[in-house]
Amino acid sequence: MAEAVTVEEVAEGIYKMVKDAAGVKKLKPTDLTKAMVEHFGPERCSKDLCKEAIRTLMDSGRCVYTYFGGSFIELPPKEDTAA
Amino acid sequence: MGDEKKIPKTPKLDELDKGPWPSFVREIKRAAEKSPMSRGLLGVLERSYNEKVGHWKHGGIVGVRGYGGGVIGRYSDLPEEFPDIAHFHTIRVNQPAGWFYTSAALRTICDLWERHGSGLTNLHGSTGDIILLGTRTEELEPIFSELTQMGFDLGGSGSDIRTPSCCVGPARCEWACYDTLGLTYDLTMHYQDEIHRPAFPYKFKFKAAGCPNDCVASIARADLSIIGTWKGPIQVDAAAVTAYTKDGTDIQADVCDRCPSKCMAWDGKALTIANEWCVRCMHCINVLPTALRPGPERGATILVGAKAPIIQGAMLSSVLVPFMKMEPPYTALKELVGKMLELWAEEGKSRERIGEFIQRVGLGNFLEAIGLEPLPEMVAHPRENPYVFYEEYLEEEPTEAKA
Amino acid sequence: MAETVAQRKTDIGPPHYQKFLPPIVKQNYGQWRYHEILRPGVMVHVAESGDRLYTVRAGSPRLLSIQTIREFCDLADRYSGGHLRFTSRNNIEFLLTDPGTIDPLVADLNTRGFPVGGMANAISNMVHTQGWVHCHSAATDASGIVKAVMDELIGYFTTMKLPAKLRLALACCLNMCGAVHCSDIAILGIHRRPPKIDQDRLPKVCEIPSVVASCPTAAVRPKRIDGKETVEVIEERCMFCGNCYTVCPAMPLADALNDGVSIWVGGKVSNARTAPMFSKLAIPYLPNNPPRWPEVVEAVKHLVEVWAADAKKYERMGEWIQRIGWPRFFQKTGIPFTKQHIDDFRYAGLSYQRSVHIKS
Repeated sequence: MAEAVTVEEVAEGIYKMVKDAAGVKKLKPTDLTKAMVEHFGPERCSKDLCKEAIRTLMDSGRCVYTYFGGSFIELPPKEDTAA
Repeated sequence: MGDEKKIPKTPKLDELDKGPWPSFVREIKRAAEKSPMSRGLLGVLERSYNEKVGHWKHGGIVGVRGYGGGVIGRYSDLPEEFPDIAHFHTIRVNQPAGWFYTSAALRTICDLWERHGSGLTNLHGSTGDIILLGTRTEELEPIFSELTQMGFDLGGSGSDIRTPSCCVGPARCEWACYDTLGLTYDLTMHYQDEIHRPAFPYKFKFKAAGCPNDCVASIARADLSIIGTWKGPIQVDAAAVTAYTKDGTDIQADVCDRCPSKCMAWDGKALTIANEWCVRCMHCINVLPTALRPGPERGATILVGAKAPIIQGAMLSSVLVPFMKMEPPYTALKELVGKMLELWAEEGKSRERIGEFIQRVGLGNFLEAIGLEPLPEMVAHPRENPYVFYEEYLEEEPTEAKA
Repeated sequence: MAETVAQRKTDIGPPHYQKFLPPIVKQNYGQWRYHEILRPGVMVHVAESGDRLYTVRAGSPRLLSIQTIREFCDLADRYSGGHLRFTSRNNIEFLLTDPGTIDPLVADLNTRGFPVGGMANAISNMVHTQGWVHCHSAATDASGIVKAVMDELIGYFTTMKLPAKLRLALACCLNMCGAVHCSDIAILGIHRRPPKIDQDRLPKVCEIPSVVASCPTAAVRPKRIDGKETVEVIEERCMFCGNCYTVCPAMPLADALNDGVSIWVGGKVSNARTAPMFSKLAIPYLPNNPPRWPEVVEAVKHLVEVWAADAKKYERMGEWIQRIGWPRFFQKTGIPFTKQHIDDFRYAGLSYQRSVHIKS
């Protein structure tokens, strides 16, 4: 059985995706989860692991939730820039 | 703070301070006695009344750390003119099930809102939350921290599970067919993560109604509507029925003639009910509350998919499970909802409510994916069009090969 | 700072409702036998135990200052052991055990300007949205119209003289945070002009594919303008739903001249007698005329009065219309039937009259 990736590794992967997509595409948690499961392979990376990784990114403030008709995960913006 | 109470002149709004119905303008003015932000609101609102347009901007970014729901960001588009109300964010606080309060609990919320916000609220928002209306970004974390110390938490917003809500239920209603408050509290606690951290294509609302009268409008407003119902005969107190006739109730006209399934007969002395034809609409019970009661075997009908118009048009929920027992720990319901949420999270499009998702993929396919058998109770009638999909078909046996 | 972080609590959920239930409710939870409405806004629930719980219901503007909430708290302390609750239609309820406190409480509420009523065959409080008080997409105000309408109809709140219940609701745009689409009479704010695109801002703040996908009629299309990727709106396809504006702030629809109000009738959520129904369009457009929206108030009052005079007992607005038919509804109300009344969105054909069952 393949060794599971750590929460930190998934979090870094998600962070990189969010960072690369900044200003180009707004990503939803499900977009990120699907991409991570595909990247690491379902046997190494579960949806629950991705959920945990997203939570660590949010709790640390490296990423934030935003809302534009739906909820997205983005880098923390300067207040009011998008409003 | 608040030393110069410059309450703006509001001749238009003052017109709404008059008249017999309680006035929201009076409420804003009361709040304005202490809050510069509410004074600002009077100014902005008077401006809207003159110009006939709103002056609020999208503000999709603010929140408390770690949560993606519970705060609605709002900014004025006239911040220079109305600096006190440049920010006007809303906090959604998860209400106690059934909207029961003690004065002590409400006072702690008022005190908090006096320290950190405009002093204006909604009791309650459309989804059910306590709405704290209007604060600044830098107040959000202190508010959250104090709220949780007081034992309250934020409700949902954005693409998450929204704050579940319910009717008064068994707390004060003899018609409650299950414990709506108990279920609502249980679901709210079960889905804490999903309420606070948006992980779905769009919003998802639960509403728990104790009987088919549906006092929380669950069939119109909830993605998952849990509407109490019963099996078996309506319980009848014959003497109490007769008592109604003495008060002038016309049992034939007011009860039997209004019964949608015409399952009731009145011969001037006794009311008979052909219970196998009863659709459990509640009308007779509503009219004769001291005489009739729902049957003793109680549970709920589970329906799915209601929503307001955006995007594909308004929908009412439709039947998913005709009858389900509703007892803690509500395992069958949670398992069913779990499968639905997983499927919709995986395959739903952005901003597609589950009702729209079901329309797109087809109820038949949806049922198959969540492992429910199709039932005639789920449809008003079978299909009328002959464009039927079949995934399986017969093939000619290769007869020669065997010989 | 580190200390605050350590103390931070999350995911505790709401307080358990049992903490807030009055003792009589706790003792008789799930054991209520029946109820009776004693007079407008006052009812008694009788438990199997014989306990009697009196409820006094009063209307509120929903938008409440903390000063007024504290006033409600004072009343609860004085009359109901500090217990109170709110209803799904923004009414406030005091839960009493001593029937002797009903009259003083009702008098106290009336003195303070909170009408007692909203029960049985009455108009209950209006469900409504935020409007110009807080919303970015409002096509009209919410609280202002509600106040003006209820000032006129308060006599139906404080009595029980209508044929059946009448549920009024208002939503200030098609998003319908107030989910008015199943009300006896719904007031709905509408835009009537396509979004005005801020072409400088749009490419910076909006994601083109999401904006294009947001449009239910494919009126929003990607377009390159001055070398920048942006969108255009095919105006004749736009039905002013505002969905694009929700995902893209650079496409506002508000238009002071053309925004206004539409009136919808005949919806219900209860299963009693007839199945739940959507509200249907009665009046396509009335102007925004603050502060008291006289045209809207008059239209709603007229609809209530025509229905009240003609409906049979227990016949909700939609049930009355089902009985008399839509042609007669328009005849009796004197509302002109127009092109706007005929659906042209999805499944529009289902709303055509597909029989010759026509009343002469």
